[in-house]
Amino acid sequence: MTRIVLSTGNIISGGPSIIRKPGTYRSNLEFTNSLRSNFLAAQQDYAAELQNGNGNGNGVSGYHDQYAQPNGSRPATEVWTEMDTATSTLYVPRVDWSSGSLQEDREQYEITLKLFFLPTAPANERAAYIKTALQLVTKELGVRSVDLLIASFPGVSFEGDCEWEADKLNANMGNDEEELTTWRELEALQSEGKIRKLGIAEFGTEKLARFIKQVKTRPAVNQINVKNCCNVPPPLTKLAKEERIELLTHGDCTDILPSGTLRELLGQGLQGAGVLADGESTGGGLRGNLIPEWVVKYTAFVKDRGVIENKGYFAGAELVEH
Amino acid sequence: MGLLALGTALDWPDAQQHASKVREWGIKQLLEIWNKAKHKERDAMLWGDEIEYLVVTYSKDDPKVLLSLRQADILTALAADEELAQKGGGVPALQDLDASQSNPLPVFHPEFGRFMLEATPGKPWGIGFKELLEVEPDMKLRRKIAKEHMKTNEYPITLTTFPRLGVPGVFTDPYYPPSGSKLRSQFVPDEIANPHIRFPTLAANIRWRRGRKVQVNVPVFHDKNTASPWKDPTVNYDMHKWPEDADARNGAAPDNFIHMDAMAFGMGSCCLQITFQAKNITEGRKMYDQLSPIGPIMLALTAATPIYKGFLADTDVRWNQISTAVDDRTEEELGEKPLKNNRWRIPKSRYASNSTYISTDNRLRPEYMDLNLIIDESIKGQLMEGGMDERLATHFAHLFIRDPIVIFAEDLEELDMSKTDHFENIQSTNWQHMRFKPPPAGSDIGWRVEFRPMEIQMTDFENAAFAVFMVLITRAILSFDLNFYIPIAKVDENMETAHTRDAVLEQKFYFRKNPFPTRPPRSAVASGTSTPLMSRPASPSGPVEDEYALMTINEVINGSQTEDHDFPGLIPIVESYLDSVNVDVQTRCELATYLDLIRRRASGELWTAAKWIRQFVAKHPAYKADSVVDDEINKSLVGAVIDISEKEQVGKGWKGLDGVPDLERLLGQFRGGCGGGGGKEAGE
Repeated sequence: MTRIVLSTGNIISGGPSIIRKPGTYRSNLEFTNSLRSNFLAAQQDYAAELQNGNGNGNGVSGYHDQYAQPNGSRPATEVWTEMDTATSTLYVPRVDWSSGSLQEDREQYEITLKLFFLPTAPANERAAYIKTALQLVTKELGVRSVDLLIASFPGVSFEGDCEWEADKLNANMGNDEEELTTWRELEALQSEGKIRKLGIAEFGTEKLARFIKQVKTRPAVNQINVKNCCNVPPPLTKLAKEERIELLTHGDCTDILPSGTLRELLGQGLQGAGVLADGESTGGGLRGNLIPEWVVKYTAFVKDRGVIENKGYFAGAELVEH
Repeated sequence: MGLLALGTALDWPDAQQHASKVREWGIKQLLEIWNKAKHKERDAMLWGDEIEYLVVTYSKDDPKVLLSLRQADILTALAADEELAQKGGGVPALQDLDASQSNPLPVFHPEFGRFMLEATPGKPWGIGFKELLEVEPDMKLRRKIAKEHMKTNEYPITLTTFPRLGVPGVFTDPYYPPSGSKLRSQFVPDEIANPHIRFPTLAANIRWRRGRKVQVNVPVFHDKNTASPWKDPTVNYDMHKWPEDADARNGAAPDNFIHMDAMAFGMGSCCLQITFQAKNITEGRKMYDQLSPIGPIMLALTAATPIYKGFLADTDVRWNQISTAVDDRTEEELGEKPLKNNRWRIPKSRYASNSTYISTDNRLRPEYMDLNLIIDESIKGQLMEGGMDERLATHFAHLFIRDPIVIFAEDLEELDMSKTDHFENIQSTNWQHMRFKPPPAGSDIGWRVEFRPMEIQMTDFENAAFAVFMVLITRAILSFDLNFYIPIAKVDENMETAHTRDAVLEQKFYFRKNPFPTRPPRSAVASGTSTPLMSRPASPSGPVEDEYALMTINEVINGSQTEDHDFPGLIPIVESYLDSVNVDVQTRCELATYLDLIRRRASGELWTAAKWIRQFVAKHPAYKADSVVDDEINKSLVGAVIDISEKEQVGKGWKGLDGVPDLERLLGQFRGGCGGGGGKEAGE
């Protein structure tokens, strides 16, 4: 069994991936495009390092040849990814931990995480997912704690022709029990001081009302997607106001990393990273069943300047060998 | 307050003698500020907007709308309002205001025109997204307070220019005859300017230095019944009171142009200016450069100036009229005579589009710079000797090619290094479309950048929309590290293009195709044992001409997809910024309304103020398709603008303004709409 950790690096100045195409309201394009371009950049950077790597004096000629793909444009996976054998984790691409740290003092920032628990992953592993995601982000940004963590649960969405309809549909979505269990894990991290505020995403009036009755710490934030009506259902507005829960907007889709998408991202196709073997082919690459587990989106926002300094994603998946 | 510092203003021949001294002292003061503030860091994003009003008299019974010249009385009334002062508002030029208030009321300022008023928020805005929603109510409050301190028949309106400024006969209240000693204008009296000695001196010395009156010529709009060639019927060729009266006889008023001859025709225009505080000098320099190419786009998009001196013009914006109205260049500097007494031929007026880029950004290519830039080499040398880098020294050495226009004898006695008066003398009479502002002496204010091209809009909803949009675009530029560089010559060209009638729909502008930074190679490569080599082109090295394309305003604002480029559009860029920050639903929806207004103006779905005014005139029963905007049309137009403004104050939509044609083409269903359509349009 191999864990795979995908990362985008800082995408805030990474070019067009971050620009929303007009007309799209909920999408994972930012995430998938950023992953793709980070894979490509890493392949180019590390391959270039190899090719120009004779300066270290060992003078091994042809060193890079053994890593070059026989047929092509992509450098071998080993060159631009990293296998941590101790934890059996493959980092795609290698993470450059030195590049993400914040430029100003910690207190200048509002650091927000949104953790997507994916429908493909077992709910009883969420404690581990939270720990891993938090660890990766805090390491990337060089901080000890984050300001807000928003939990996005699978199967919960706020979608419909208009927000009113969305609110009704929402009432029976998700799995209350699993969500409460996960919340308790988050509450524990909050009391340890690792997370300042907690939030949830896409909770409609009914679901939210049920939820806050059963939790110790109420969410400070509920993120909802407003498509185009800009009419938040009045009961939700009222409840949020009474309970002092801030209703924030977002444009993410809930199932941000379906298996098929991940397989395509890592596969041998034209758009793929070449990490994963194709089903029937005899070519290289890892084999097995790929299960996306979680995605974390993080942003570091300089509060009194309104500037986003760092934004990126990590994602976790498991490769189960046949 | 420097503005009110009274003293002995020198006439031009005297002032000219001391110009070098003022420049020399100004540079010393600049170096002093620069040395003190160059390491200033971590200033918050604060910003401010300025709204300028015309004050008009309007009553149902009076067939004429006039400009009220009671600026001083209105400001005195505002300053005397104790309640206003208690809450931090008032007139800083006339009184000490309590800046300690947490939410001070707005403040009011005199302007060049004696019929003008300027209002700013009581304290600078921050970047809390909810705070951005306070801008519009604050603007409305300013208008309300201003109105409350006027006579019942006086109104503050936000038209850029008074359509009948300078017509024969009466257009001011009270009436003063034209042809005074200061302006020597055929059309406007000296009393049109703020009587504070600074302003008439400014106007007189510009004329004096120039050697003749300023020539503000705007092409007339040729309608069906407009004569061709058209001769401005209001020009009197037979005046002999001042030597300058000969200007008209010597070709100052060519055929087919509306001819104006005084500073008031330009500096009497109302604009919407936004000032941003930067984190530090580096960020300030970057914002200055990156906002510069956006200037002409916003000028065209806010177009609101189709009428001058009672005639429809063939241009839509005020910019060039202000430029020529304060153009103090001599015949030698203009290139009309060989250089003898002057040092340079100068390609641009003091009021013009930017001539420099100043950022330390390595994406700033030498090819972008202005090839015709005139600088004072010795000043550049002094600044560099004082430790300033070449690029910034070049910028100031360019501003300092100008003479100081107004010099007070008292200020020449001693150089006060704790002040910045001499520096500001030159700096603040360089009216470029961006202004880079060092921190003022003795304050905690940081490095600032002023965005100056936008035209004032008739409603505060629109003014707030454009102000907030500019704030958001600066945040997106800094967050995404965007790059809008194009050659300065192309920005100049765009500025001219923006003047064209309906440029917003009919013209194309040079704009950078790809605004994104190239991703730097990861540091692991750079810090590895090997020599860092870029695996792909990190900095642009192709021809500069390939970096930009001609785009419509719609493409620049809303994005485009052509074979040549897929510029994402400024609005999608701003929306992507908002997608990445924590913003509450209500705020996001309100901000979406502002973005929506701009999106629709750019697409042509909604009209610019200029187009709306043109249509208003064209449809008016008194209009004879001869380009003439007479008293009757003027009264209807100003009356409509007052009605719109009063409706906006009530805040219940535009319903009931049946007498105002095409309002839905100007404002759509925004802010309650015009009736019928319902209010569901906001976020679509």
